[in-house]
Amino acid sequence: VNRGSPVWITGVGAVTPLSHDYSTIADNLLQGRSGVRRVTGFDVSQHPSQIAAQIDRIPCPQDWDEAEFDTLQKLEQAALWCCCSALQDAGWWDRRHTVKIGIVLGLGCEWLSIWEADAKQGGLRLYRPQEDAESVVSTLRRKLALTGPGISVSAACASGNYALAHARRWLELGWVDVCLAGACDTSVNAMGLAGFGNLRALSRRNEAPEAASRPFDLARDGFVLAEGGAMFVLEPADMARKRSARVYAEVAGCGASSDAHNMVIPSPDPEPACVAMRQALADACIDPGGVDYINAHATSTSVGDVAETRVLELVLGSALPKVPVSSTKSMTGHCLTAAAAVEALACLVAIEHRAIPPTINLDDPDPECNLCHVARETRSGPVRVAVSNSFGFGGSNTCLVLRAV
Amino acid sequence: VDSGRKQSAPVDEAVICCDVLAHASINANLDEMPNLRRRPGPGVGESLPANILKHADEQTVVGLSAVLHAVQHPALANSRLDEWGIVAGPCFLGRATLVSAMRRFEEEGAWGFSPHFIPHRSQHAISGTISQVLKIHGPNLGAGGGPDNVVESLLAGAVLLHADRLPGVWVVLAAWDPEFIPDRNGCPVSPTTCGALALALVAPQAGFNGIRLRIIPSISQVSHIGKISQRPPSVADVQRSIAHFSMDVSSIAPVAWHLQGGGSLEFRRVEQGTHVELGFGICHRASKENGAGTEIRR
Repeated sequence: VNRGSPVWITGVGAVTPLSHDYSTIADNLLQGRSGVRRVTGFDVSQHPSQIAAQIDRIPCPQDWDEAEFDTLQKLEQAALWCCCSALQDAGWWDRRHTVKIGIVLGLGCEWLSIWEADAKQGGLRLYRPQEDAESVVSTLRRKLALTGPGISVSAACASGNYALAHARRWLELGWVDVCLAGACDTSVNAMGLAGFGNLRALSRRNEAPEAASRPFDLARDGFVLAEGGAMFVLEPADMARKRSARVYAEVAGCGASSDAHNMVIPSPDPEPACVAMRQALADACIDPGGVDYINAHATSTSVGDVAETRVLELVLGSALPKVPVSSTKSMTGHCLTAAAAVEALACLVAIEHRAIPPTINLDDPDPECNLCHVARETRSGPVRVAVSNSFGFGGSNTCLVLRAV
Repeated sequence: VDSGRKQSAPVDEAVICCDVLAHASINANLDEMPNLRRRPGPGVGESLPANILKHADEQTVVGLSAVLHAVQHPALANSRLDEWGIVAGPCFLGRATLVSAMRRFEEEGAWGFSPHFIPHRSQHAISGTISQVLKIHGPNLGAGGGPDNVVESLLAGAVLLHADRLPGVWVVLAAWDPEFIPDRNGCPVSPTTCGALALALVAPQAGFNGIRLRIIPSISQVSHIGKISQRPPSVADVQRSIAHFSMDVSSIAPVAWHLQGGGSLEFRRVEQGTHVELGFGICHRASKENGAGTEIRR
């Protein structure tokens, strides 16, 4: 693999509960605003958890036919908006036919989402396989006229990190000139809320939605379901430099491992997740002391936040008290398959604004989670290296290192 | 605009090769599934936690079973499998179960929705379950999930093996054949079989005798010689190709499929780590143990 030219992020597109454009999302993250509300759009009276961080109506991309956009499923709309926005942001939109652009998209329940949404509208697609001829990735390639390869990857909440790692490899191999990478999830629906609710994974702080997502806090009672997506434009540094592109960060390191323990419960042994973090740091040639910010996976569950703390203790060692840690899920909720991508975006915000977004609602830190918390308020200071942990169902552990350019 | 291709890796490095060290196919219909859930393959049996496959999708059951059979191959006897990666490509996972899940949700409300549905019908379910059962700590992920699951999984598996310097990667492909069409009770309207193929991929080895996977991107100066199928391969297509190569060791004609975005993906038989390109091979159905792998019709 050619590691000659670093891979840079030169464009961002997103749909999140904190808005659909990068600068507004950045402002909301740094202001510590919560996107969690009481669920709207379907009846939640029988659900144990009645709150979520939902995305507003997804805007139609520029130059796109609104009527056609309205016919798409929500998942397709989210992915399309993110891709179009990212390509426009990177300056490739009008010139996308001149380069080979690939796409690696993190998706968790692509067909289940589509069938369920279709059924709600009275459709029968679930019973008609002949209508399932084209995946979301293929649809995006066709609609965006992308000439490079496309795949979807799925590792639950870690999917976005896998997508970025995969895209970086394609660029290093020379398979593509430019690559779109990220993840989308639109699982805030009746069955999604019921499924995670019945797993007893969700917060039931229904009377105070904005205070419900409280990673590392002693009073945490589960995660808040959320939806969203983020896509990034990745390209070789040489090319970005030549065209004087705006650069957000270098994709400096990636690591991945599996717990091999349980489909939904994190392993009590921190070592597998440590392997992923150490791989990513080694890949980026960074010592633990060189990390300026860790965006923790920390979902606000009792078991998960403590398990991640054990991992950070082992990996950071003596650097632990000095490395700032926050969980932006306190504001965005848990975007599931899209979580890693949305949190990579939060790391870019930290790097660009030289300010670390806080863990809001962290009023009473759990003594079992003794970390250098950025609690309640943004912390200013240069962020040269940001690390994002994302762990997922299926025992997936991933770590992404982003470096300022 | 400089396309950037001049800065890319040399073209020869753009081609990825993987050797198929072992493989196994499993096909089972719905009647055969309960037994397969209890005893998915050799080497686990009683040692398998009683509930581990209770809620698993049928594609997960056959996928795991295929790996458990392939792992018996002598070529893997000295391999440290716990550091391997896993890429699994399901196809329309959960279609049948969603019918009954939706009905139960309508009848019983939120409390009627099974907490097992999401973990076991998400696209990472096969790879996660295999990782758990075989105690594999390398990366595990799903790829594809729909009509392109074969190509996307092989692409992801080959890149993972090549770039992460893993000792090996399991690529597990699964699908119903024909596709499971549910009635309003979630039962199939016509007979169908759930099939899976497990491929143990390792980096190309000198002197290797067996099946080699090559990913040839469009930028490569290397090109596939012979016919390339434009239609995305099904799991059954690849099962047949692999079985053909295993049964007929004299077969050196490769099989190839077109890649989205240009280039091709091909399987070919190599002798002593070399190959001869003769064109597109015609595949035959196989149904017995042979060569490096196992084909099992349950």
